[in-house]
Amino acid sequence: MQQFFEKYKKQLLRGGVLLLVLITVIASGKQLNVTLLESAIGVVVTPFQDLTTGISSWVDETVTASRNKADLKKENTELKNQIAELLEENRRLAMYEEENATLSLLLKIAQKYPDYESVGATVIAKDPGVWYDGFTIDKGTKDDVSANMVLIAPEGLVGKVLESGMTFSKAQSILDSRSAVPAMSVRTGDLGVVKGNYTLSADGLCIMEYIDAQAEIMVGDEIVTSHLSDIYPAGLAIGKVLELETDTNGLTKYAVIQPYVDLKHLDTILVIDKSSAIEKVPTLPNPVTAPAVPEESAENAEIPDTPPEGEGTE
Amino acid sequence: MRILITALIIFVNFILQTTLFPLLAIQGIFPNTALIIVTSYALLRGSKEGAIIGGGCGLLMDIFFSKMIGFYTLLYLAIGLLFGRSQKTFYRENYILPVIFCIISTLLYQAVLYITGFMFRGEGNILYFLFSVLVPELVYTAIVTIILYRILFGINEWLELKEKYKYRLF
Repeated sequence: MQQFFEKYKKQLLRGGVLLLVLITVIASGKQLNVTLLESAIGVVVTPFQDLTTGISSWVDETVTASRNKADLKKENTELKNQIAELLEENRRLAMYEEENATLSLLLKIAQKYPDYESVGATVIAKDPGVWYDGFTIDKGTKDDVSANMVLIAPEGLVGKVLESGMTFSKAQSILDSRSAVPAMSVRTGDLGVVKGNYTLSADGLCIMEYIDAQAEIMVGDEIVTSHLSDIYPAGLAIGKVLELETDTNGLTKYAVIQPYVDLKHLDTILVIDKSSAIEKVPTLPNPVTAPAVPEESAENAEIPDTPPEGEGTE
Repeated sequence: MRILITALIIFVNFILQTTLFPLLAIQGIFPNTALIIVTSYALLRGSKEGAIIGGGCGLLMDIFFSKMIGFYTLLYLAIGLLFGRSQKTFYRENYILPVIFCIISTLLYQAVLYITGFMFRGEGNILYFLFSVLVPELVYTAIVTIILYRILFGINEWLELKEKYKYRLF
């Protein structure tokens, strides 16, 4: 055995390197969930990453908690006030939602922003390199997380899942230079693509490219995901426009985007599955509103009648 | 014994590198300890073992963070193989040489990543990269290498004493 290795070591090394190159070429460009072997290694490694992240965040928490008790008290009262305000607003918005459901039912429009099933997950490891902004989360195929699902935080979009193993998933944030998200501005509806940029990602910013030169987009505009994507559902908040610049070709503009989510300090995130869209609204309120409406329906029922009138006047 | 301890070093390093070290990073930069370990090991034990350690470290990186498997494996393997060649020509008790070699390997590694991933897409400002990423990283690498190399050197001495004769994996 020893002799065999000694004799053919060069050929063996060459063969190994060639095999690796071949595997890389074949595997690139395919978006598959990870193989059994990768999953097996993942099962061994992830508990330890989980443990280490847990310990370090616990130490961090205890240290900071004891350091600024007074700050926390102040923040607590502030947050309580905020909760009261938000509850009030929530009540108001719930009324709006109900009204919206009734009205869109009357107009027979399917709901634009459906709800999605979601799974909570924790970031357990980060890409140690300086080039890419990838990370690992602690949910995998066991919890029905698979490739191309979308990651969000309460504030907005975080990124997407690249591949899933049994107990872990590789993910990439929108700061990663490999990522591209079709987006639009809420106010003007101008389309573009939000990309990661290596130079900007150090400051936690990303860039929106391919905006039309005539677009009336402005600094401070809100940017959300557009309808043009297979992966990202429409209407997820991404960030605000920080700067606007015209490209050197003069045909397009680009904008520097400040994401709403603090992508440098990610902790808990939600994984949503676009294919699990629960389009309940057009059907569900039907039996609920139908009996409730009749008293008011006298005036509402006139709405479908108005278009013919409009046509008549034309 | 050697295999077990080496595997443990790679494993522990990977876990620390992906969880704890980003918290210790200064301005988002922390030296690539996997690369330092591969280079040091190659200097201590030669090409073949350097290549095997490199392959192991790279494979872990590939599995957890890369879009396609094999890229980091090949890169680390090549670095282990390359730096192992100088094993016979210098005294490994030397303090300065491992630092210089680790700096060279970091330069090589970052250059390959830049050329394969960014240069052809016309992205990544090279000047920004040079002055705010590469230079600080090289300085940190030099500092960390001094400590890490002594630890690896000690472990290696201890293992070789236990083995008594030179045992080679291949």
